[in-house]
Amino acid sequence: MSDYAVDITSLHKRYSNGTTALNHVQLQVPQGCIFGLIGPNGAGKSTLIKSLLTIIRPTLCEGTMLGKPIGHKPTLSQVGYLPEHAQFPAYLTGREVIEYAAGLSHQSRFQCRVRCDDLLEKVGMNAHAHRRISTYSKGMKQRIGLAQALIHQPQVVFLDEPTDGVDPEGRMIMKGIIASLRDEGRTVFVNSHLLSEMEQIADRVAILSQGRIVAEGSIVDLTRKKALFEVSFIGQLPVRLMTWCQEHGMEISNDRIRCHAESAVMIQPLIDQLRGALLVIREIKEQRFSLEELFLQVLADSRKNP
Amino acid sequence: MTQALTILLDSLRMLRASKMFWISLWISALVALSYASIGFTDVGISLGFGMMNFQVPFIRRDTAEATEFYRLLFTDVIVRFWLGWFSLVLALISTCSIFPQFLQPGSIDLALSKPLSRARLFLLKYLGGLSFVATQTLLFCVVAFIAIGYRLDSWSWQVFWAVPVITFSFSLVFCVSALIGVLTRSMIFSLLGSLLFWAMTLVAQWSEDALYKMAYVLPEMGLKIDLASGGISEADPAQSNDLRETHRKISALVAILPKTRECTLLLKRLIVLEGPANPRTGLDLGALLSGNSDAELERLMEQYEQRHSVSYLIGTSLAFELLVLGLAIVVFQRRDY
Repeated sequence: MSDYAVDITSLHKRYSNGTTALNHVQLQVPQGCIFGLIGPNGAGKSTLIKSLLTIIRPTLCEGTMLGKPIGHKPTLSQVGYLPEHAQFPAYLTGREVIEYAAGLSHQSRFQCRVRCDDLLEKVGMNAHAHRRISTYSKGMKQRIGLAQALIHQPQVVFLDEPTDGVDPEGRMIMKGIIASLRDEGRTVFVNSHLLSEMEQIADRVAILSQGRIVAEGSIVDLTRKKALFEVSFIGQLPVRLMTWCQEHGMEISNDRIRCHAESAVMIQPLIDQLRGALLVIREIKEQRFSLEELFLQVLADSRKNP
Repeated sequence: MTQALTILLDSLRMLRASKMFWISLWISALVALSYASIGFTDVGISLGFGMMNFQVPFIRRDTAEATEFYRLLFTDVIVRFWLGWFSLVLALISTCSIFPQFLQPGSIDLALSKPLSRARLFLLKYLGGLSFVATQTLLFCVVAFIAIGYRLDSWSWQVFWAVPVITFSFSLVFCVSALIGVLTRSMIFSLLGSLLFWAMTLVAQWSEDALYKMAYVLPEMGLKIDLASGGISEADPAQSNDLRETHRKISALVAILPKTRECTLLLKRLIVLEGPANPRTGLDLGALLSGNSDAELERLMEQYEQRHSVSYLIGTSLAFELLVLGLAIVVFQRRDY
């Protein structure tokens, strides 16, 4: 089997009204990781997940999921899904929703009974399991939604805005469950607007904008590429050195020089130049982008160069 | 198999949560009890488990007429009006939301993301909707079976023909409701559209029915209806030929439509109670109660009631249903959700 849980060679979705939701997307999601898909509203995140799960019929789809062609229905028995704004039948109890999802995934009631208790415990809904869904708050529905997505012990789990409407305690529980899934070797694919949370849990992220993947990689690698070093000095910067800095794409403001560099090695020439000009280096500060800053930067870049 | 059971169990849970289901069930229970309360004495009929007694010269305990009366009451009144009309309307009101609700964003996603083909999912959901009527009719038939057995000492399992027949009749309208539900995702459109369609098919069936009587039954009795004045006079073969031509055209139209009414009336042919042999078949309830019967009229009425074969009624209706379901499945399969 491929090292990738999801390996999309080309995914294209064009609606009948002419809107292109996904523009020949290429994406690889390694097995056993937490993968975050982020992007502005309308970027095509949900469309991408729905295309993988046969909820939307893509215009073109080449690739595999768990080693089988995308759209292969039997493979979906190894896939869990929590949709955005999930609406469970109001007449069911929390436990019945989980049993319903298990049944649709070929799990008998006997098989899922023990696991259902365990999951209800994990998501903190044991005490409310016999209440009807219609009496649940948004956060409680999300917790049940997560439990139903995991009842059949899927290899890949797609979570679309899983913490939407969930209280801080619930978010902590969800993050814990997501991390434990990775530890068990399962792949978790998360769509979320909450970039700070994504930064805490995701191993890899992809940024989707206007139906295209504009950045993809591990968070460490991506933020490193956008790292910034700020060098403060004492003294007057000579004109020659000022010109050199500008030629190398550095920004100068009063007694500071800002240099975009992936690592400290790359700013050594600047330090040499400053010392050569007999300037005193007061401070060197590395400023890494947060995922949010990275996201905004990448989006701005992609809009400038579509 | 697990998936099918899961969806059918979900349908039963949906029924359990529906107020209309319980209202309908209680009314059914009342109607069934009222039916069971009818008994026969040495002089006539008793109602309310013997609380009221009526003298009826032709219908007495242990007579063929009593058996026929009890059968006709079931097939011509209860099945025709309660099970075939009112309970079906209530069922349609209760089930018209099944597909529009199922197709709501966030709800349909869960089902479609499972290892289950869209066609199978649609059909299982459809069968779940039919269980509303099947459950109601089954419970009704159990009471009717006990009532008939107790009253006539005739434990006739044929009563249970009502379950598949009434469910089939309902399915002929429910398939239209499902198609409109899939197309519009609107509960109101689904209900109004299916009711309108049902009314249209009934008008077509009534028209064919009335024309048959005017074109075949009355002329054979030597009578004709003056369409201008509404009066009845001696038969004119030329006019009956015109009417027969019109009947043929209407029949062609009716042939492609589902025959909900006639399928329900099939029960009259299917349910034959064991008991003293009835020398007079083809009677309706009115004729039986009045005691007035005409052998020639009874023959003509029997011919009229059986003018369409069972295979024609079921076959053409089923063809319509399969066509509508096929269309609904194509729409359901091609949609993005």
